[in-house]
Amino acid sequence: MRRSAGGLLLLFAIVIAGALVASGQTRSPLVILDVGLPAIDQDTIPDETHRPASPEAIRRAGLHADDDLVRTGASGRPFSAGRVIVKFRDEASDVARASAVHSVVPSGVRQPRAADADFEIVTIDPSENGEAIAAALRARPEVAYAQAPYRVHATFVPNDPHYADLQWNLPLLQLESAWDIQPQAGSAITVAVVDTGLAFHNATLDANIRGFVDETGAAHPALGHQLIPYSAADQIVGGGHAARIVAPYDFVWNTTDPLDFDGHGTHVSGTVGQLTNDGIGTAGVAFNVKLMPVKVLASDWDVAFGGSPFVGGSDEQVALGIRYAANNGANVINLSLGSSGPSNCGAQPNQDGCSPVIESAIRYAVGKGCFVAVAGGNEAEVTDPKFGLNPTSVVAEIASRVPGAVSVGAVDRRAVGQTGTRRCTGAATLPDCHAYYSSFGPYIELSAPGGSERGFGRDGFVWQQTFDFTFTDTFLLAPADYRPPRFDVMAIVGYLGTSMATPHVSGVAAMLMQQGIKDPAAIEAALEKFAIDLGAPGRDDTYGFGLVDARAVLRGLGLAR
Amino acid sequence: MTALARHRALGILCGLCVTTFAASARAQEAPAISLRVFGQVAAQRFAAAQSFDANFGGNVDPFYGGGAQATFRDRLFVEVGASRFNKTGDQVFVSNGQVFHLGIPMTVTETPLEIVAGYRFHPRRFAWLVPYAGAGVGTYRYRQTSAFATAAESVDVRTTGVLAVGGAEFRLHRWVGVSADAAWSHVPGILGADPSVSHDVGENDLGGFAGRFRIIVGK
Repeated sequence: MRRSAGGLLLLFAIVIAGALVASGQTRSPLVILDVGLPAIDQDTIPDETHRPASPEAIRRAGLHADDDLVRTGASGRPFSAGRVIVKFRDEASDVARASAVHSVVPSGVRQPRAADADFEIVTIDPSENGEAIAAALRARPEVAYAQAPYRVHATFVPNDPHYADLQWNLPLLQLESAWDIQPQAGSAITVAVVDTGLAFHNATLDANIRGFVDETGAAHPALGHQLIPYSAADQIVGGGHAARIVAPYDFVWNTTDPLDFDGHGTHVSGTVGQLTNDGIGTAGVAFNVKLMPVKVLASDWDVAFGGSPFVGGSDEQVALGIRYAANNGANVINLSLGSSGPSNCGAQPNQDGCSPVIESAIRYAVGKGCFVAVAGGNEAEVTDPKFGLNPTSVVAEIASRVPGAVSVGAVDRRAVGQTGTRRCTGAATLPDCHAYYSSFGPYIELSAPGGSERGFGRDGFVWQQTFDFTFTDTFLLAPADYRPPRFDVMAIVGYLGTSMATPHVSGVAAMLMQQGIKDPAAIEAALEKFAIDLGAPGRDDTYGFGLVDARAVLRGLGLAR
Repeated sequence: MTALARHRALGILCGLCVTTFAASARAQEAPAISLRVFGQVAAQRFAAAQSFDANFGGNVDPFYGGGAQATFRDRLFVEVGASRFNKTGDQVFVSNGQVFHLGIPMTVTETPLEIVAGYRFHPRRFAWLVPYAGAGVGTYRYRQTSAFATAAESVDVRTTGVLAVGGAEFRLHRWVGVSADAAWSHVPGILGADPSVSHDVGENDLGGFAGRFRIIVGK
């Protein structure tokens, strides 16, 4: 046995060496070699660091390259320096467009329009104020909208498996009986997960790891070129299910290989469509869907590998990701991401702090027949210096105004076992079940399980397969112990957040689409109509229309009942 | 009114007078009590038209049944009739007036049992024709089942309603006749519960207008 394992490793080393030779002499910061071994499966691990505002989550989010390219302008929303997003009116000629840009920012350069974009990127000097330039461009008659590329980030809070003992979240949505109604579980439907990517194939990474400084000020040295093992999440593509991955794309590296170096996108994808009834690990909601990984959020390792200056993404990447998904056959788009901003973008969409480029992309996607689910935000207990306590999540607020897109808040495990029509009202026997971090406001439309550690510890998390962070988040170790990551060790990890609530809704929407309801607005109407009312009677700012009820929505209504 | 119209109206009035007097004479010749049986087919347009449209794709459906009728001196009549409607549609939801079909079979069976009393007219000029009108009450059993329904989601209830009928009987033979009539029924108390399609579209009447055709055996 040991001899055969040694032989396998030798063969693997030869293949890797051959692939490296074949890859040529010029080395980019990251080369993904399409050879790799299957993952090592750690089953569940006691990682509780993926919850909102945990020290580790803060450090992960705080990793950045030496270049400081994020600015915060008058709106209070951070944005990427060095470019602005401009949508010209259709009737504006090319000359007029160039003239408009030149009159506002003489050094501005219009970049070629990306294939999926209806907007343009104008690069500017990084020292210039992108928000001020966007405001000046908006004043031009040739411009429909202009905005700074605001930063967005995953709304997750991660952490640890197993349907029967860990997944309180799936039965809460009446999924067992929903699967009886819809055993295909979305096999004809494609769900695009616009996120940090997906561990969807085995590979070996040849990465140049740069030095960086973390949130605490600790300097991590450059590790240079390293060969890093990378494995697919076998509970998503294992057992011959690789064909379920369609049209992957990476808007961080601009390749067709959106490998996840964070774990968030893989976890979210698992909730949407983890392989189920295979006797392994955990279950997913619509476990037969096709998955379209669209990477728009950079992880810590994307930063360290040199693919992005910052963790997270920016508005134009998200907009491109949404448009790409819509143009490439996605039926449902999952956006477990967000960013705080003004609460009045509905009334004044073309103001600093708002994201008309994302609104336009969401409306475009819905117009193409895509249902869009957006995380409601994890900022209920967060005080933003500009927008105060519980700031509005800009992307979720957009979703609330678009029929066919929904914003999703999170409930926790206290909702389990509550029955009847007056759930989570706060009474002694019907405790409030609002997840403490879940942003609330008039833009929240639906609720789904996002989990909470408060009162439940690990049992309160939402569990799916992703990376074992012991092997990936080596930057959380003391600088002396810092080493290259391994992405070939998988575990079932618990996360918390509206990022985790959102894919539940995407999965149920996929099942409803398979049931024959194709109109995104009708899907939203059905999800809201059949939601289990929580809290105050009717729609409210905490739970929206209530908890998604997969069985009710798939079963519909008869004549008299 | 033209002269021709006045002439026609006068003719009709005279005809009615003749038939009424003739009917009185016929009534005196009729047996005190006559018993007949009938088989019936009806096409009913349901008052809950939107609900039926949503779940079944139409709101006019057949009832099949039969019953017995007793006439008293061929004037008054009392009848008891039973019929049955059965149809399979599917579960749906309605949003902004648009119906979305979920493909889950749903079957409804309605079984009315109705008692009607009324009056039979005997126009002399048309001895082969017996117009009649009546009103009554009914008990209506409604059953609804669907795939994946729990016991609480299936329906098996009975309620009462009222109806009114009017039509005419044609004698084909001494022992055989046919009749055609129109019936209106009002059956509250079954539809309209929340949640249901009928609730969503604001309908609560299981009755409607029906055109009925009967074959009657008996004098």
